[in-house]
Amino acid sequence: MSSIQKVRKWCNFEFDENEPQKKNIKNPKQSENMLLEEKVAISKIEKSDYGHGTVNINDKNWMKTFDPVIVEDLAIHNKKIQEVEEWLKSCAGKNQSDILLMTGPVGSGKTITISILAAKHNIKVTEWITPLDIDMPSDYGDYEFKEKQSTKFLEFIIKAANFTSLLDNNDRKLVIVEDFPNTFIRTPSEFTDVLQQYKYRAKSPIVFICSETHSDTKNTALNLFTPSLKEQFHIHHIMFNSISTTGLKFALKRVSEIISKKHKAVYNVPTADMIDCVVNSSAGDVRSAVLNLHFACLKGSNMDLETSIVIEKETKSKTKKKKNSSKFLSLGKDQTVNILHGVGRVLNPKVAFTEKGKQLTHSPKDVIEQFLSQPSSFVNFLEENYLPHFSCSDHTDKAASALSDADFMLAEWREKMCQEYGLYTAVAGIMLANKAPISAWNPVRGPKNMKVQYPSPQELRLDVNYLYKGKVLVMDYQTYSKIIGCNSSELNNISIHL
Amino acid sequence: MSLWVDKHRPRDLMKLDFHKDQAIRLKNLVQQSDFPHLLVYGPSGAGKKTRIMCLLRELYGSGVERLRQETMTFTTPSNKKIEIMTVSSNYHIEVNPTDVGIHDRVVIMDLVKNVAQTHQIDSSGQREFKVVILNEVDDLTKDAQHALRRTMEKYVATCRLILIANSISRVIPAIRSRCLTIRIPAPTETEIASVLHLVCKKESINIPSDLAMRIARSADRNLRRALLMCEACKVQQYPLTADQKVPEPDWQIFIRDTASTILSEQSPKKLGEVRQKLYELIIHGVPPDMIFAGLLKELVKNCDMAMKCQVASHAARFEHRMRLGNKPIFHLEAFVAKFMAVYKKFMEESLGDAF
Repeated sequence: MSSIQKVRKWCNFEFDENEPQKKNIKNPKQSENMLLEEKVAISKIEKSDYGHGTVNINDKNWMKTFDPVIVEDLAIHNKKIQEVEEWLKSCAGKNQSDILLMTGPVGSGKTITISILAAKHNIKVTEWITPLDIDMPSDYGDYEFKEKQSTKFLEFIIKAANFTSLLDNNDRKLVIVEDFPNTFIRTPSEFTDVLQQYKYRAKSPIVFICSETHSDTKNTALNLFTPSLKEQFHIHHIMFNSISTTGLKFALKRVSEIISKKHKAVYNVPTADMIDCVVNSSAGDVRSAVLNLHFACLKGSNMDLETSIVIEKETKSKTKKKKNSSKFLSLGKDQTVNILHGVGRVLNPKVAFTEKGKQLTHSPKDVIEQFLSQPSSFVNFLEENYLPHFSCSDHTDKAASALSDADFMLAEWREKMCQEYGLYTAVAGIMLANKAPISAWNPVRGPKNMKVQYPSPQELRLDVNYLYKGKVLVMDYQTYSKIIGCNSSELNNISIHL
Repeated sequence: MSLWVDKHRPRDLMKLDFHKDQAIRLKNLVQQSDFPHLLVYGPSGAGKKTRIMCLLRELYGSGVERLRQETMTFTTPSNKKIEIMTVSSNYHIEVNPTDVGIHDRVVIMDLVKNVAQTHQIDSSGQREFKVVILNEVDDLTKDAQHALRRTMEKYVATCRLILIANSISRVIPAIRSRCLTIRIPAPTETEIASVLHLVCKKESINIPSDLAMRIARSADRNLRRALLMCEACKVQQYPLTADQKVPEPDWQIFIRDTASTILSEQSPKKLGEVRQKLYELIIHGVPPDMIFAGLLKELVKNCDMAMKCQVASHAARFEHRMRLGNKPIFHLEAFVAKFMAVYKKFMEESLGDAF
């Protein structure tokens, strides 16, 4: 990898079409007016790049046309940007190896924030990308000696932090790590060593960027950056939230402006309705929102198809949910429902009256689709939380029976369909059983940890190598050994006193 | 602390207090040089382990009573390390594979392999095989039971398995047929009472025969519990009188309490309270089937005959579900909810009739 990086330092590749932009920004101009001028300049460059101002989709970097270029373009909350900027300022020019950790859900603008801010402050950014390491045997059939991944990583980040590129003459540098080498996930202790070395030897700040996921097991931020580690290395932690609706709208409006200015040949100018659709379907993920908008606005042979889907969806959802007037455009990405949201939908079933008669607003089928990958944990959530929503014991009986059936089906792990059926039974059972729901605010609780704790023989003052364990101790010994034990010890005490 | 249960546990097959015919047969079985794998089953407190220890003593002499405790570690295929406590002597090793939950298969395969691969150092005058005792075989996962079947055949030359279970209905037929199954029935109440008399005589205290009978009756034909009750009685009040209080196990009182909560009011809110109590019982290690049995026993006391049938059949259904399912609490709760619905309907109807 390091060799590749060296090459990169020496020459610019053609596909790296961002480079002219960056250079432009890097001119040390600070005032707002200057920046505006810059923007014009950039657009000029773009125009000259693309000839007649059209986007060539075959171009590898067509997505980049919509990337924000200045701080004001960012859809992220101002406070967050300020926080990052302050950190950047605080560690600029100190020649110290400060560490920043940025976490947040996917598409919340972590990477773009840091790179734009770095550009603004004229800081050279170097990013680590984990190289492929496939073992290819040599001609003699033996394997080449390879360096350890962590050694390579350490070498790279230290070089990137301490040495300037020949192509540009700025001395302020920043290292970004978004792509963690696998070895750290397996053995987090190696990561601690690397950080120690970095702290000791490097002269530039480093930024670690982690995407948050719902499941704990894949959460690099949680696994690698333990609280003790953060304390040890004084790691500053900035947490990003998913982008707000207004932020998304702002970003999409900017995109639509770009479209209407420059790319009319390829895109239809998006309507406000369409932007609303995209905002609703992207769930705070700005990257996928832009992608969806791109897909929705494309001109071309399949244009009719796209628009028809949009219209159909709209009409459907309008009848379904008039009050909120939210429309789901299922383009590319499904609308994401997190587990708490899903639990809420099941426990507060809303009935809508349509031509066909009564209908549930969210049909059980739609709900289970979201949770097919983790049926038992969803059912556990339901079981823990369903009771406060019921008013009548007849209804609870039906719901509890449905849950019992569901658990029985979920236990059959050899049959794949059973998982789906089990989940469906639980969801539909609870939704249909609750004829008279109580609508009150009930916080959703996580399922209980049902680990059985048997008393140890020592607790009951029995011999360590005792014949019996577990159940028998609970069922028979616990009560009586308490009675016998405490009284006999009292007797002993008395006899000692006497 | 040495309890009466342990102090007066018979250590020789010929000194057992009941099932004497069976004891003679067991002795004969051991006196021949070899014996097959055993599957000993019977209700709790009937004397399964006592008989097995007697049997081992008969086989190897008093060396089997020098026990030591060891922690063994195994690695699952997914590279997870699991630890399990074993109790062993030079001649046998005892383990509770259900302690490690779903990883019991690994324990069974590796443990039996370990034991079977090492031969007895001094085989002259000793048996050529070691004994592995597995507890709670009926609670093993199906996977583990199938693994056990294979292991049993493979290492039959160097080790014998003694399996202990409460009921063989959950042991797969393949294992049942590979073992000599020995049923140890629970002692009758009179047998328990006579044992109580015997123990009291050895402790040189006097027990009224009424009290002995009452203890025997409240112990659910569980001799161990009866002896513990008897000792607890003695500690609470001595000399023993015929009408003194016999302390009940805590969990039974707790279950009765839960049942009265169910009967007091039938509403989702009450069900929530009941659930908390059930959680508590399960977490403290009371087996869910005992909770089921206890609840049913208490609840049907307040039902008329027609309803008793109905409730019992529902209980049977949910209990069966519980065996097949993963989460006992789901089924316990479903049963309680069902009972609440049935009972409420019944109460409303009878009130309607009254007016």
